[in-house]
Order: sequence, then C-alpha cells, then structure tokens
Amino acid sequence: MTDKLPPSRPKAITRRQFLVATSASAAASYMLLNRPAWAVTSDMARAGDFGELDATAGDGIDLYLENRDLLIGGQPGQAIAINGSIPGPVIRMTEGKDALIRVHNRLPEATSIHWHGILLPFDMDGVPGISFAGIAAGETFTYRFPVRQNGSYWYHSHSGFQEQRGHYGQLIIDPAKPDPVDYDVEYSVVLSDWTFENPHTVFRNLKTIEGYYNFQRPTLANLDDQMQATGMTLGEVIEKRLSWQRMRMDPTDIADVTGATYTFLMNGKTADENPTFIAEPGQRVRLRIVNASAQTFYDIRIPGVPMTVVQADGQDTKPVETDEFRIAVAETYDVVVTMPDDKAYTLFAEAMDRSGFTRGTLAPREDMSAAIPEQRRRPMLTMADMGMMMKGGMEGMKDMKGMDHASMEKQMPHPTGDELPTENLVNRIEHGPDKHGPSSITMAQSAYRRLDYPGAGLGDDGWRVLTYSQLRALERPPLRRPPTREFDLHLTGNMHKFIWGFDGKKWSESDVIRFQYGERLRINMINDTMMSHPIHLHGMWMDLYAGGNLDTNPRKHTVNVQPSELLTVDITADAPGQWAFHCHLLYHMEAGMFRTVAVVRSLEGGSIDADA
Amino acid sequence: MLMPNARLTATIAATFLLSSPALGQDEPETADMPSTADRPDHQESARQHEGTSPPDLEIPPLPAGMTLDEVFDYADSEPPAHFPDPVPDDQLFAFVLFDQLEYRVTDDDQPDQLGWEIQGWAGGDLNRFWWKTEGESVFDGPNEGESETDLLYSRLIAPFWNVQTGVQYANEWNPDEYDDRWSYVLALQGMAPFQFELDHSLYVSEDGDVTFSVEGEYDLRITQRLVFQPRAGLAFAAQDIPERNIGSGMTGADLDLRLRYEVKREFAPYIGVRYHFLTGETEDIAAAAGDRTEQWYALAGFRFAF
Repeated sequence: MTDKLPPSRPKAITRRQFLVATSASAAASYMLLNRPAWAVTSDMARAGDFGELDATAGDGIDLYLENRDLLIGGQPGQAIAINGSIPGPVIRMTEGKDALIRVHNRLPEATSIHWHGILLPFDMDGVPGISFAGIAAGETFTYRFPVRQNGSYWYHSHSGFQEQRGHYGQLIIDPAKPDPVDYDVEYSVVLSDWTFENPHTVFRNLKTIEGYYNFQRPTLANLDDQMQATGMTLGEVIEKRLSWQRMRMDPTDIADVTGATYTFLMNGKTADENPTFIAEPGQRVRLRIVNASAQTFYDIRIPGVPMTVVQADGQDTKPVETDEFRIAVAETYDVVVTMPDDKAYTLFAEAMDRSGFTRGTLAPREDMSAAIPEQRRRPMLTMADMGMMMKGGMEGMKDMKGMDHASMEKQMPHPTGDELPTENLVNRIEHGPDKHGPSSITMAQSAYRRLDYPGAGLGDDGWRVLTYSQLRALERPPLRRPPTREFDLHLTGNMHKFIWGFDGKKWSESDVIRFQYGERLRINMINDTMMSHPIHLHGMWMDLYAGGNLDTNPRKHTVNVQPSELLTVDITADAPGQWAFHCHLLYHMEAGMFRTVAVVRSLEGGSIDADA
Repeated sequence: MLMPNARLTATIAATFLLSSPALGQDEPETADMPSTADRPDHQESARQHEGTSPPDLEIPPLPAGMTLDEVFDYADSEPPAHFPDPVPDDQLFAFVLFDQLEYRVTDDDQPDQLGWEIQGWAGGDLNRFWWKTEGESVFDGPNEGESETDLLYSRLIAPFWNVQTGVQYANEWNPDEYDDRWSYVLALQGMAPFQFELDHSLYVSEDGDVTFSVEGEYDLRITQRLVFQPRAGLAFAAQDIPERNIGSGMTGADLDLRLRYEVKREFAPYIGVRYHFLTGETEDIAAAAGDRTEQWYALAGFRFAF
C-alpha cells in the first residue's frame, strides 16, 4: 500500500523493477478478469495502490490499460486501471528532456491519454478525432515529446466516459532550474469522483429526467431550514422561491451529479479509508492537488493549518496564504503547509454542493486521524448568479471595486489591429437579446467580473478563501504582449434539457474556431448559464486576467467561469495544429460543450465545420 | 361537491392560468454599459482581421515528419475520415414515462376503472418522435373503455417548449359497439413560468370536428421524495359533435390530486383522487340521456420510467 510518494525527490524506478512490477500486475488482473462473477471479493485489490514512473529516464515507460475490478470504498467496482490501479501511477518527468510513454490498450474498446496542460506537438495531445484516431483495442501507441515546462499536472483519457471509470493519474514535471518552492516532503493528492453506475446510464439519466441526482431541492420540509439559514421570514422565503419558480430555475442546481451516486475519492480512497500523508512536526509539506473528477468541484481545507498556495495549474505563483480554496474540475494547485505539532490534521475535501466529501490525514505516524469537520449547508444560487445588480447597488458597488473611470466608458472590441488594453478591463457587460436559440436558457441580465468571489457557499465561514484575484505569476511568463484581436464566447446551456454548448451550439453543430499563428488573442468568456464551467484549452496557455497586469496575471490551462461571470483570457497562438477547447465537466463535454480550435496560417476565407 | 357556478369560475381561472405560456424570456433592463449584442463572436472577429500577417515566432516542436506548412494545411482541413468524433454529442436517446398507471375506485355503484397515461420519446436534443397514450377501461363491469394515442414529431422551439404535430388514433368500445377515429394533432408541450408542466393539443378529426385539450400539472415537493401533484385536464369542442354526445364549448374536465413517493426517480407508487365532470351542452346532453355528469374516484397506482 503506497498512497504516498517517497519524500522530497523522485525515486528512480529501474526498467527492470518496473517490468517485474507490471508483469506481476498484468498476471494478477488476468486472473481477476477470468474469475467467475460470484467469486468473493475478499482478495480483490483495493483502489488507490499506485506507484510512480519516470517518463524521461532511460528508455521510457509502459502504461497498461485494462478493465479491472477493484474495491472502491470496500465495494467492487468495474474500473479502468492503469498499471493495475486507479488512479494510475504518478508519472514524473524532468523539464528539458524527452518524454517517452508507450500506452498498451488492453481494453475491449479504443482509448487515449491526454497530457493535461502540457505543451506538445498536436499529434501527441491524445484527443481522438482531433489529434489522432485514438488507440484501438489491443494496440500500442507511443507518445514522445520534448518536455518544455515544469509543475504539477495530470493525465486522463479523452475517450467517451473512461475518465469517470478511473482512467487518470498525476503528472509531475521537475524543473530544470532549482525549484523556487521550498519543501521537505511532497505528496500527490488526486481527487476524483466514482460511481458504481455505468457512466452512460448517468448521462442518460441527466438527459431524460431533470434534477435526477439532486436530493437537496427546495421542499416544504426545508422551508424552516431556509428561514433559519437566511434569517428571512416565511413570507420572504416563499416569495424568493416563487421568483425562482417563475424563472423555471432551481437555485439548488449546484451540481448535476451528486453524492446520490458518487463516492468521493482522494488517491482512490474514501474518507473511511483515510489516506495518510506522513510528516514530522515542523516539516514543510508540499501537497500537489489535482481535481481529476468527472463533475465534482471540491472545497479544500486543513482545519488548524493554513495553506500557502505556491502553484496553480503547474505555474509558480507568488505564495499566498489561505485557509480554504475551491478546486474546479481539472485544475491543479500546489500548496505548502507546515506541520504545527505532533498531532493529526484532516485534509478535508468537501463537494461544492455538500452532498459528500472525502478526506485524508496529515500526521506524524500511520493510523492517526483528526476530527472530520461537519459538512456545511448546501449553498443556493442567488440573484448575483444571474448578473443582477442588487437593489441599493450593494452588490453592484462591490463588483465595481477597483474599477476606474476608463473602464466605465463603453469598451468595444477593437476591429483593427490596435493593441487592446491589458489592465482595468470593462467590469460588466449587459446582456443583449438572447440569440442562442432553444439550447440556451439565459437568465443573466449582465455578465460581470467575479474574480473576488470565492464561489457559492464559500466566504462566510470566518476564514480566508482563495479567489482568482489573488493569483499572481511568480515571474512574467514569456510571449506576453497586448492582444490585437478579441471575441466573445458565450457559455450556454439548457439546464432543463441537459443541452450544453458555446454560443448556443454543440460541437457537432459548430464550426472550427480559428486562431492565427503568432497572434495574441483575447477571448472574453461570458457564462450565460447558472452553473460554473471549468474551461480548458489544449496546447496553449490561457493568461487569465486576474486583475493584475502583463507581468503578474497567472497562466492557466483550465479556468473556472462562474455563473454570469465575464472572464477574460489572453492567448499567444504559438502551437500550430488542431486542438480541443472545452468544458471539463465530463458530462457537459460529452453533451457538446466542446470546440475544435485550429491554429492556422491566416484567417482569410471561412471556417470549416468541426464535424465534417 | 362544487356548485356549477363556482366550478365554472374555477375552471376558467385554471384555463387562463395554464394557457399562458410565456415563450419569450425576460428582457434585460437597459443600462449604460456595453451590450453582448454589439460584440463580435469568433467568426466576425476573424473576418475583421483578414489579411494581417503573423509576427515571427520561434517555431515550436512539430509532429514528427511534418513541416510547418504541412501542419498549417492540416490545421485548415477537415479531420481525416477515419477519425472518430471527439465527443458523441448527437447521440439519440429513448425514454418512456408511465405517468399514471392506476386503479380508480368509484364512491358509488359505478364500475371501477383501470387508467393509464403514458408518454415516450426517441431522438436527439431538438428533434424527437414523441408518443402519448391515455385511456381507461372498466375493470369490474362490462368490457368498455376508451383510449387516445398521439404519434407526433416534436421539435424544441424555445428552451422550455416543444411544438408537436402528428396524428391521433382514438377509440371507444363497449360490448355492443366499437368506434374509432383519426385526427390531426398540433400540440405545444413544455414548462410554463412557475414550473407548471403544460400540454396543449388541438385536434381536427377526419370528420372535420375541432377539439382542444389542455393538461397542466405541478409538482409540489414536500420532501426530497414525497411529491404532491395537483393536475387538471380540460376539454373543449369548437362545434357540436352529436355522434360523440359533445356540445360546443367546454365539454368536461378531470381534476386530480396525487401524492407519490419517489423510491427512485424512476419509480414512485402513489395514491390520489379524481373528480371527473362534464360541463355546458355536453353536460346537458348526458343529463338528458340519463347518464352521469360527474364522478369521484379514489385511485392508487405507480409512476415509473425507463
């Protein structure tokens, strides 16, 4: 059982050790798969028993993908295991070297591995249908690319719903130069969500019965609860509920898939299994946290221990101390904590909709644990999530904080090759008439900057919560200049019918979004929906406008766009080829919240259909 | 029992309430700020930028064996034919909901009924084949009953509304007689503000008779699984239809209350009551023939989906 990494530096695994390990696991899984179904599960392997491999050492690594029954929280589940486990092994690389990974597909279906957040030639990006044809059953595909960055990332399947079944793992790239982060021990923390249902069934349930997994809806029975939580009178609560009903919206629609079917995992283990991270008092512990969930946003905290965020999406940030942060699906955060004393501390990861949690323990020894915090009340969406300026301007004024007069003027997207402003961007854009058709329900009256907003259900607990406005790049990233072109991209959806897309269209109805090679481009994302969407661009960085400037705004591979948020990213289109660009909520992506991006020589002529 | 006048007022109020689907969405307030309406999407933005030349950039690693020009050509082409779709976003689904499958017990010597209302669909997000069937047959008396089955093409025309068109097959039977007819159907089905589920259907029979029905229901959640559902179904005729004992105007209604427990989202046993009555000329026709013009039922059944 190794749910922890060796202290401080990667242990080199020799090819020989590795071959021995993988053949043993292959043999074991062969026996498992050929056992009758009634066989008892007592000797079935548990999820969470993963190792570590170095893909830039020696002559590369081998990954074996197979269907495997594993005990997940003690119950047998049909997982897709990578080298026998979920999560898959931690893959390490070293910046400046070449990575070599042979992926052996022993599944009865095609598969793929996408290296999330990694800059590489487009044919190595691992998106079936865009970068390559996929890896057919029984085939081996060799990934080879130069490693041009460092930090904490992850990898996962980009085929169908395989990610939901455990096809993911962490990817750590050690820097070529000395690491600016100071730490004594480091641990991988891979958060995920697991369902014993077939993911196709989950998708069908979402498509056919609205609110299928939401068992925290407004009811007569929780009227009193809402009154106590909000301090409103019965009349006010009823009035508020009626106003939501009038809009045909559910303010408790925080998560599409919930603890009603999900088992929440940390390194493949449930809260009961309590993965433990060993650290001596006074030691600085670096936690490399990735949210490999299909759908679940987690709120992470260690009661009694402040966390210093040192990296976001693999990029070094100016250290910022906080008590809690929300990690959107597909984001990675590195935090450093100092063990205060010889006691155990709970690393608590609570699902955003409060329908469940997972946890681990930071402790000086095995078999210790600390109190598990009580789960908080599930949040409800507010009128602010519809971009409404509150009466009296309270909410509006809060939004306008730090906004100067220049940005109050009408800033229109520039049609010429002029340089666009990079600071004090417009704070609020009014919603014109909705032109996005039946696939989009737009309740928002305006879209506005929410960089200071920690997210629904956070910020009122009396402790600090990280927001995007606090993220600052440690050093100015290269290739930054003011953008010369921009466009708006609406994040759209019909929550009632579970239709998701951009600008009211699914991928199969869309055309390719073209970037001109070498250009500096701005995308203003406008979230027309009432849900948060983690938007991921493959192959290129998104420089997030976080209220800073060209020197300090952070680079991200995944940006979380909150309800009614106006969120701006600038991109240097330096990666020729075709790339995926999508919402990283698995069921939104599979529903069509996905685009093909082509980095082309010139923007002349028309765009091609994505689904040709 | 409701008095005729109160009954009429109630039904008119219900009709008004149920028949006002707001197809449009709320218009935003205007304010002095940029509007999404004036801003370019990616195509407009690209058009405005035609002809600019890219700055020099250090060429990044390219796919093995490809030149930069070849990569650009690839980027501007459709994907190779053997590539799968990256996301299966145009999948078709099929769904069946037994909204009512119930036994109805009368409060007098009238025979009990077996009643059903089922609908299902197959298709994509916007375009679907939709079918609905409802009816009842006498359970502990002579073999008699009636049913209506609509076969429809359905299109999502607004976020909450489907327009549906197709045909209806309706039949009525008793030991002595079997009547049936085909009708053309135009329906508007969806969810109105305040989350009323509504289904309006206009029928033109093969004899040219025009009838209209509207059904509305509302789910009041008592707990996460216990749901109280009031429901109303009203029927109208545009003209007298003597062979069906129907007079023009509102012809009758069913007012139902059901209380279900969702063991699963797809399976909920329930109990309830139904008050069925005729109105207007249709009521007079029935009364003149000595038939009943109203009936109470206690009911129990299952709501399930697959």
